[in-house]
Amino acid sequence: MVSKVLTAPQKRDSKCSVVASLKMEEVRGRVDLKRNYLVSIVVLAALLLMVWAGVANYRRRKAEQVRLQEMQAVLVPAAPAASADQAAAPEEEMKSPLEGKPAPAFTLETLQGQKVSLASYKGKAVLVNFMATWCAPCKVETPWLIQLRQQYAAQGFEILGISTDDLDKDDKKMNAQDKQDIAKFVSNMHIDYPVLIDGDSISHPYGGIDALPTSFFVDRSGKVIAATVGLHDRDELEANIKKALASGGA
Amino acid sequence: MRQWLSVALAGALCLGLQCAVSQKLAWQSDAPKGDVHQQVRFLYPEQVTLVAGKSSVVELHFKVSDGLHINSHEPREKSLIPTQLMVGEPVGVNVASVDFPAGTDYSPAFNPNDKLSVYTGEFVLRAHITAQRGDHLVQAALRYQACDANSCYPPKTAPVAVSLIAK
Repeated sequence: MVSKVLTAPQKRDSKCSVVASLKMEEVRGRVDLKRNYLVSIVVLAALLLMVWAGVANYRRRKAEQVRLQEMQAVLVPAAPAASADQAAAPEEEMKSPLEGKPAPAFTLETLQGQKVSLASYKGKAVLVNFMATWCAPCKVETPWLIQLRQQYAAQGFEILGISTDDLDKDDKKMNAQDKQDIAKFVSNMHIDYPVLIDGDSISHPYGGIDALPTSFFVDRSGKVIAATVGLHDRDELEANIKKALASGGA
Repeated sequence: MRQWLSVALAGALCLGLQCAVSQKLAWQSDAPKGDVHQQVRFLYPEQVTLVAGKSSVVELHFKVSDGLHINSHEPREKSLIPTQLMVGEPVGVNVASVDFPAGTDYSPAFNPNDKLSVYTGEFVLRAHITAQRGDHLVQAALRYQACDANSCYPPKTAPVAVSLIAK
């Protein structure tokens, strides 16, 4: 067994080491304090950023809601829908950018090869009706258009049917067949107003015809006063025709 | 411990920022913008494994967008555009035929007496394919013409691509 006896010099060393350890503790304490500050700053910054992110997100959602409400305000018709069909109508209530502007000029051919220009109808109210032989709602609308034309022709109303059916431009035989199909449709539907072909060539100036039927109601001065996309009831067609007849006169 | 706390806080911070930037709202869509005007989409399969040299049936799944219908392969009226599949056959692949499902009856609200033969929702075409050993890419296009309750849309084609592995 070994016993240690502390001598005087050993006691002094012991005091020195205690002082040194106290200094070390002090240094450690300072380092810890700095670290605490750093951690606190990081925590604070993180909290601030999280609050900022939350606020930014909330503002963005609010802005989106406002934007959506504005869009809905545009889509909701001014008058309450009279029937379920009207309520189910698609985006037709969205105002066409062409409304109030001159109808884009065009010259197209009839099935017989005769050139027809919109400009030649100045002074008349014209319904420019984009349709196609494969469009079922167009077939529902066509008899109404025939009747309305007969009803308002004396007042200066005309319809220009614009066929958007594809025409084969590479194969003459196929082109003739395409024209024949349109002619058959015109005959079967008893259409007595001019039907112009190659409507796709004027689709772009009319805002791109994405859905059929699409109608532009042009007043006597050549200005678009209303536009509809999709099938609308006969009364609405008639109201727009009356509006076109009443507008743009000398 | 404090280091872990810092890491956790940094993670939470990144998550918060990510949420602030990318959180989608109820009416916002993740659909790719180029696909906006496509009314029918090819769903699957992207890849099929077949027995080389033997005729196999590959089922091609499509989906018509909600609220729309397209004419079936055999519409009741001649003037209506039928749904068709145009297939490009790469070397070593033979697509003998494609079976189309029968259309379902649909009477549009604007003309209740009319009965159309249409596809809505999901529908499946069955292609009879024979492929030689190897990997092949079969590309096709579904031609269709869609309508909703009030409007009809010009004919379009939906792209189809299936990778065939014949073993």
